[in-house]
Amino acid sequence: MIGTIAYGLTIGGILYIISIGLSLTFGTMRIVNFAHALVYTLGAYVLVSVLPRVGNLFPVAAVIAVLVTVPLAYVIERYVIRQLYGSQSIDYAIIATYAVLLIGIDAIKWVWGAAPISLSDPIGLAVPVLGVELPLYRLVIIGVAIAIFFLMEGFFRRTVVGKIVVAGLEDREAVRSLGIEVDRYFTIVFLIGSALAALGGVLYAPITSVHPYMGFQVILVCFAVVLVGGLGSLRGTFVAAFALGLVIAVTGRFWGSAAETMVFVVMAVVLIFKPIEV
Amino acid sequence: MKTICRFERWRRVDILLVAAAFLLLAPVLSVQRTTDFMIFCIFVLAYDLLYGHMGRLSFGHMLYLGLGAYAAALCAEHLNDNPFFALFAGTLGGALAGVILGPIVVRTTGACFALINLAFNQVGYFLVVAAFAEWTSGENGMSASFAPIGGFDLGNRYLMFGVTLISLLVVVLLMRRLTDSPFGLLLRTIKENERRSIFLGYNTYLYKWLAFTISTAVAGFAGALSSLNYAFVTPSFIDPARSVEVVFAALIGGAGSVYGALVGGVAFMAISNYLPNFVQRWEMFLGVVLLLLVFKFREGIWGYLLRLQTARLGEKSR
Amino acid sequence: MILTVADLDVAYGKARAVSGVSLHVAEGEMVFIVGRNGAGKTTLLKTVAGFLAPAAGTVTFDGRVTNGLPAERMAVRGLRYVFQDKRVFSQLTVRENIELAAYPTGVKMAAAIDTVVGIHPGIRRFLDSKAGGLSGGQRQLLLLGRALIGSPKLLLIDEPTEGLAAGTIREVFTVLSGMKGHLSMVIVEQNLPVVSQLADRIYAMREGRILGELTEPADIKDRAKVEAFL
Repeated sequence: MIGTIAYGLTIGGILYIISIGLSLTFGTMRIVNFAHALVYTLGAYVLVSVLPRVGNLFPVAAVIAVLVTVPLAYVIERYVIRQLYGSQSIDYAIIATYAVLLIGIDAIKWVWGAAPISLSDPIGLAVPVLGVELPLYRLVIIGVAIAIFFLMEGFFRRTVVGKIVVAGLEDREAVRSLGIEVDRYFTIVFLIGSALAALGGVLYAPITSVHPYMGFQVILVCFAVVLVGGLGSLRGTFVAAFALGLVIAVTGRFWGSAAETMVFVVMAVVLIFKPIEV
Repeated sequence: MKTICRFERWRRVDILLVAAAFLLLAPVLSVQRTTDFMIFCIFVLAYDLLYGHMGRLSFGHMLYLGLGAYAAALCAEHLNDNPFFALFAGTLGGALAGVILGPIVVRTTGACFALINLAFNQVGYFLVVAAFAEWTSGENGMSASFAPIGGFDLGNRYLMFGVTLISLLVVVLLMRRLTDSPFGLLLRTIKENERRSIFLGYNTYLYKWLAFTISTAVAGFAGALSSLNYAFVTPSFIDPARSVEVVFAALIGGAGSVYGALVGGVAFMAISNYLPNFVQRWEMFLGVVLLLLVFKFREGIWGYLLRLQTARLGEKSR
Repeated sequence: MILTVADLDVAYGKARAVSGVSLHVAEGEMVFIVGRNGAGKTTLLKTVAGFLAPAAGTVTFDGRVTNGLPAERMAVRGLRYVFQDKRVFSQLTVRENIELAAYPTGVKMAAAIDTVVGIHPGIRRFLDSKAGGLSGGQRQLLLLGRALIGSPKLLLIDEPTEGLAAGTIREVFTVLSGMKGHLSMVIVEQNLPVVSQLADRIYAMREGRILGELTEPADIKDRAKVEAFL
C-alpha cells in the first residue's frame, strides 16, 4: 500500500507540474491549450534523443529538453493562440490548438517512429521508506513538485510580474488601465507553463513508456485536475493533482484499467456539487 | 424581393434535391460508400445542432454515436434482432446519455464544455473496451446480426441505402424544422447572448438540455445505423480521438446550416476515404487543414457559396 | 485643449452606442457628462481611453491623434481611466494595488503611497490588508488615489459616487473638489447636486448622441436647469 501511495504521489507531482501551465493559460486566456500536450510529449522525446549524446547525464539532458521546447511554445503562442484571443474566438482557439497537437503528433511519429520507447530509471537506487523499498527517483519527483510549488508561490506573491498576473487574472482591463501591457506578462506565464509541461514529460519519461500519444492521455487528466482544483487557482491545482494522483494509483491497484476513468468520475461528481459556469 | 423568392422556391424542393444528390452519388462512389457518407452526414447534422446553432463546441461526440451503435448491437444480440427495434434502441441510448449527462455538461460553455464531453467520451471508451468487455468483446468489437423482416434483409446494400437515404431526409427535415422554429431562434440567441435570453424570461437551462438531448439522440441514431450498415461494432465507433472528425466536417461544410452540415459530411468522408491513398501523413494533413479553416475559412464551403450567391444577386438587382 | 473628440462613432455589436459625438476639454477643466443609463457615456469614455476602437471620428489627446491606440499606451501618455464598479485587485493588498499602479510610472513606492494617503488618510491602516475587504467608499478613494500616481494629465472617471452612502459621497466630493483646477477631468456622473457644484461645463448625452452643453456658470449652478437639461 505504501508503494501505491508513493506511486500516487509521484503521479500527482507530475500532474501538478504539467497542470500549472494549463491552469494558468485557462485562467489568463480562457482557452484550453491542447498544444500543451505536444510540449509535454516533445520534452520526453527530446530527452530520449539527447540522453545518449550527453553521456546519459539525466539532469543535463533534462535541461536541454526543456529549453528546446520553449521556442516551440513561443511560436504556438504568438502565431496561433494570440491570433485567436478574445471571447468570440475561444472555440476556434481550442480547435486550432487541437490541430497543432495533431500536426505535432504526426511529426513526432515521422521523426521518431510510432513505437513506444522505454527509458530506464536514471537513478536506479531504491530507498527504504516505512519498511518498503521505493525507487529514489520517484521521491525526487515528489520533491521537485513541492519545490516548484514553493517557487510558484514565491513568484506570484512576491514578484511584481507575478502580482501583475494575479491582478490580470482577476481584471485584465484594470491592469491595462494602469499602463501595463498585460498580454506580455500572460505570454511570459504561458512560456513558464509550457516549460513546466516539458519538464513534466521529461520527468515522467522513465516511469512510463514514451509514445506519440502520451500527451493525449495526460492532458485530459490534467484538465480534470484543473477543474477539480478550481480554474486559475494554483493552490487548488496542487491539492487536486496529488488527490487525483492518489485516485489513479489506488484505483489502479484494485481495478487496473479503470484508473484514469475514475478520475473523470471524481471530476463529474465534483462538477455536480460545484458546477462551473465559465 | 427576387432574392427571397428564389431561395424560397429552392427551399421547398430541397429534400428532393438532397435525395437526388445522393442518388447521383451512389453510382459514382458505390452504393455502400454512399451509405457510409449519408450516415456520417446524419451524425454531422446532430453535431451541428449543438455547435453551429447553439454555439457549443464538443470534442466528445463520438460517445453518443458509439453508444447508439453498441446499444443497437447489444439489443440485437440479447433482446430482439429486429433491425428497426435496434434503431430505436440506439436512438434511445443516445437520448438517455443526453438526458443523464446533460445537467452536468450543459451548465458549462467554451473550453469546459469541449473537454467535459471529451472526458465522458473517454469514460465511454473505457466502459466499452474494459469494464463491459464481457458484453462488448472489448477491443475486438462485436458482430451485430439483424434478422430480415418480411423480405427486408438489410444485408442487401440497396435496401440499406434506401433506408439510410430515407433516414437522412427525415433528419434533414427535422433539423430544418427545428432550426427554423422559435426553438431554433432561441438556440441562436443563446449562442450570441445567453444573458439576454435569461432576461427575456427563458429557462435557457432547459432548452440547452433539450437541444443537447436531441443532438445525442440523433447521434445515437446514426450510430445504430452504422451498426446495421457494417453488421459489426468496434471501439473505434466510440473512440474519442475520432471526435475531431465531426468538428472538422461541421467547420468545412459551414457551421450553423443544415446544408452546410451535409456538404461538410460529404467533404470529410471524401477526404478521409480517398486522400490517404495520396497523402501518407494523414493526421498532419487534417491538422493543417483545420488550421486553415480556423484562420482563413471559418464560414466553410456552404457559407462561402451563400456569400457568393447573395453578392451576385445583390449586384443583379442593382 | 487637452482632449478633443470629433464626430466619434462607436459600434456595439450591430448597434451604434455612440453617434457623431464631439466634445472638448481644456486644460484644468472639470467636465461632466450626464445622461440616463444606456446613453453611451461609458462606451464613450472607454473609447477615449483606448479600450474600444471607434468606427469613425477622431480622438486627440495632448496634441496627438490617439484613436486606435490601446489603453496601455494611453495610460503611459498620461490618461487615467477609473472604472465604474469600484474594481480593485481584491486578491492583492492595498499596498500591492498601489505598487502595480506605480510600477509603469517609475514613481517610488513611498511617493506613491503618499499620493494615495493624501487623498484618503484613513487608508494607511489598511495598507497591508487585502483590497477585497475594503468598503465601496474606500475602494473608490483608493482608485482615485491610484489614478493620481505619476501625475496624469487627464482623468476619466466613470460614476464615482454610484452606490455610495451620503457620508462617503461627501468624502468623494471633497476629494474631487480638491483636485479641481489641478488637472483635467471628464467625469460621468448621475448625482446632479455633485455635478452642479463642481462642473466647469456639462454635456448631456442620450442614445449615443450629445444633446447639448451647459457652459454658463449660472446655468450650471442652477440645479433645476441641469435637471431639465437631462
